[in-house]
Amino acid sequence: MNNTISFALLHLAFCFTLVSFTPISALELHGTGANMVETTCQKTPFYNLCVSALKSDPRSSGANVAGLAQIGTDKLKAKATATLRQITALLKVAKDPKLKMALRDCADYYNAIVKYDIPVAVEAVTKGDPKFGVEGATDAANEADACGRGFKNEPKFPIYASNKVVHDLSAVVASIVQLLL
Amino acid sequence: MVDTRPFLPVSSHAGSDPTGPSENRRKPMKLQLSIFFVLLTVGFFAALLTSNNGSDNGFVKENEHGSLASPSSEKQLRPVSRGPAVGVSEKSNRLFAKDNENQLAYPWNNSMLSWQRTAFHFQPEKNWMNDPNGPLFYKGWYHFFYQYNPHAAVWGDIVWGHAVSKDLIHWLHLPLAMVADQWYDKNGVWTGSATILPDGKVVMLYTGSTTENVQVQNLAYPADHSDPLLINWVKYSGNPVLVPPPGILDKDFRDPTTAWLTSEGKWRITIGSKINKTGVALVYDTKDFINYELLDGILHAVPGTGMWECVDFFPVSKTEENGLDTSVNGPSVKHVVKASLDDDRHDYYSIGTYHEKNGTWIPDEPKIDVGIGLRYDYGIYYAAKTFYDQNKNRRVLWGWIGESDSEAADMQKGWASVQSIPRTILFDKKTGTHLLQWPVEEIESLRLKSYEFNQVKVQAGSVVPLDVGPATQLDIIAEFEIDNEALEKTTGSNVTFSCSSSGGTVERGALGPFGLLVLADDSLSEQTPVYFYIAKGSDGKLKTFFCNDQSRSSVASDVNKQIYGNLVPVLEGEKLSLRVLVDHSIVESFAQGGRTVITSRVYPTKAIYGAAKLFLFNNATEASVSASLRIWQMNSAFIRPYPNDKESQ
Repeated sequence: MNNTISFALLHLAFCFTLVSFTPISALELHGTGANMVETTCQKTPFYNLCVSALKSDPRSSGANVAGLAQIGTDKLKAKATATLRQITALLKVAKDPKLKMALRDCADYYNAIVKYDIPVAVEAVTKGDPKFGVEGATDAANEADACGRGFKNEPKFPIYASNKVVHDLSAVVASIVQLLL
Repeated sequence: MVDTRPFLPVSSHAGSDPTGPSENRRKPMKLQLSIFFVLLTVGFFAALLTSNNGSDNGFVKENEHGSLASPSSEKQLRPVSRGPAVGVSEKSNRLFAKDNENQLAYPWNNSMLSWQRTAFHFQPEKNWMNDPNGPLFYKGWYHFFYQYNPHAAVWGDIVWGHAVSKDLIHWLHLPLAMVADQWYDKNGVWTGSATILPDGKVVMLYTGSTTENVQVQNLAYPADHSDPLLINWVKYSGNPVLVPPPGILDKDFRDPTTAWLTSEGKWRITIGSKINKTGVALVYDTKDFINYELLDGILHAVPGTGMWECVDFFPVSKTEENGLDTSVNGPSVKHVVKASLDDDRHDYYSIGTYHEKNGTWIPDEPKIDVGIGLRYDYGIYYAAKTFYDQNKNRRVLWGWIGESDSEAADMQKGWASVQSIPRTILFDKKTGTHLLQWPVEEIESLRLKSYEFNQVKVQAGSVVPLDVGPATQLDIIAEFEIDNEALEKTTGSNVTFSCSSSGGTVERGALGPFGLLVLADDSLSEQTPVYFYIAKGSDGKLKTFFCNDQSRSSVASDVNKQIYGNLVPVLEGEKLSLRVLVDHSIVESFAQGGRTVITSRVYPTKAIYGAAKLFLFNNATEASVSASLRIWQMNSAFIRPYPNDKESQ
């Protein structure tokens, strides 16, 4: 009996040894909640933003790549809508004509993001023609970029932080949807 | 008693117990236990090994939503903007920021935007269009259907638009042919193809995206076969007729082809898909377009090419200068397999042999197999589809030309996308490896005033204006001869050239670039060169490249500025020949009779309306060039809705 026990223990130990020396990729297997988020985010240009955005949604545990793409797009939509609201509010109180102009341009770009780019991305991912989703998300990043460039010569860029998040998150979503091609 | 021996590594006689003689009494049970643990270890090891290999050996994890097999695959570590370095031309993988840090997205005004609308290319009155669908000739009319968004200038809510024409050029818009009104196409009435039956009746097979977002194939047919305009369509009550087969994911099953007859008298179709990263074409046989049998094998597959969209399969004659019905086969016939690659948004074709008995196809040259070799068009051109035009005994090709400006500009102008001018397709007998594409001859009916220029000499490093009046709607046919002495004297080099990685027309070589500057303003602040570049190898052999340079096509920063193009085979004794169709924001250019074709979308801000001009240019350092041209002003095609009063045309 003792020998049997030691035998069993030996084999268990052997198995655990194998496990600890196995390269990380073997443990990835095929998506176990948090791992899927990390490995997917590794393929995007903004890893930390990607991980925090996806993990903040409980649906991300157990989601596949298409699911993560949808979560990412939802987050992007929320952030872009909030930023648009910010821009509109700022426009109401802005006095400086140059600032007003830059803000008005940004309102146009963000309208494009919220009204067109994001709905296209959502539809493309859910219906399974992802190339249009990559296009929509990439365009959203470009619109955010254009908004930012309008402030290049301005002393203040009040929506700098939110605009950067929208830009970076768009790039992240584009990368994730790209994986569905 | 506790065993205090240290844990041992794997021993070759796993399962043997190294303790004392007492084991003899327990041997049978120990043996069983040992075997059990050995199997456990082996099983664990095996599990680790198979999972290590990742996506490439067919371990597919599927769930209802069509998930990916595995997240790891070497191709996926790509940054978002692959950009000019990899020659990616379409909107989908570009971030504009890289080029113009200091410029705003361009303040497009209505004048600039409305100029962009084409005069003689097919486009709906407004909103978004993509793939050509079900083209055919029926009862005296050419029919064209297309993917259309009735609500916006971006992709979405897709239904089938419809238009008719007597000559493939003058189109009249008809009501939408099919909308998303069934559970099996509620989420998209997607691409499909028409088959004309021997009795003249038409059937249409198309992809529907169901309420559960599964891609299925559906059958539809005209409500009234005696209506030459085919206005109303009926969907078969038993749809869908095909659902994704085992091993194919729900979202990888779309774009059925025109059917062709087998020697057994059955109809055969092919549908593109992918298995992991291998693009494939599945084959089905049917007698009634309702019940299908999936063939065991596939028509063809090419690893690493990803999803095959809009697959097309058709015969071309090796000897005759006409098209062939899709069912034709025989010794003087070659077959073409074409696929639209989802991964890079380009259309690729390959010429090969069809083996009818088992429904397979083999490329003549595996090095230029589908997806890794020749493209229909080296610019913006996707989702192309051919049909056999029984009216004029030719095979005609349609291709979707998207926009390469920003989506914001598309929204502002209220529309996006055009179709190419339909092209005839012929096997290039001289090279044996290429197809020749040429605008249908009916386009010549748009020609108005013509201008002729003979043997115009263009010295190295010079620009020659061509006075042709307004230069936004033109048909240009040109021939170039390059100074022979320079061709011979120039020393060859090992440096490889490619249009997309070159510096465009400012990069001067001894023997190029030279060609035309279209949509250029007087000061050349905006210009779109369509040109040849001859490179001489260290072995003395000449290679000719055909390119479109968009880098200075517009001062606007939010448009594509890439350089498109490819090698064009030029055979002994051939002059360099060029045909260019300029139609506002689209330029279609054909080199060597259509052996290499490039379509570009161009969005100038200054070189528009009367300010747009045409020039010859030669930016080579050594060779002078002489050009002979014939240029026509082109009329509008007056594409408009079908007149309400029921006069017949």
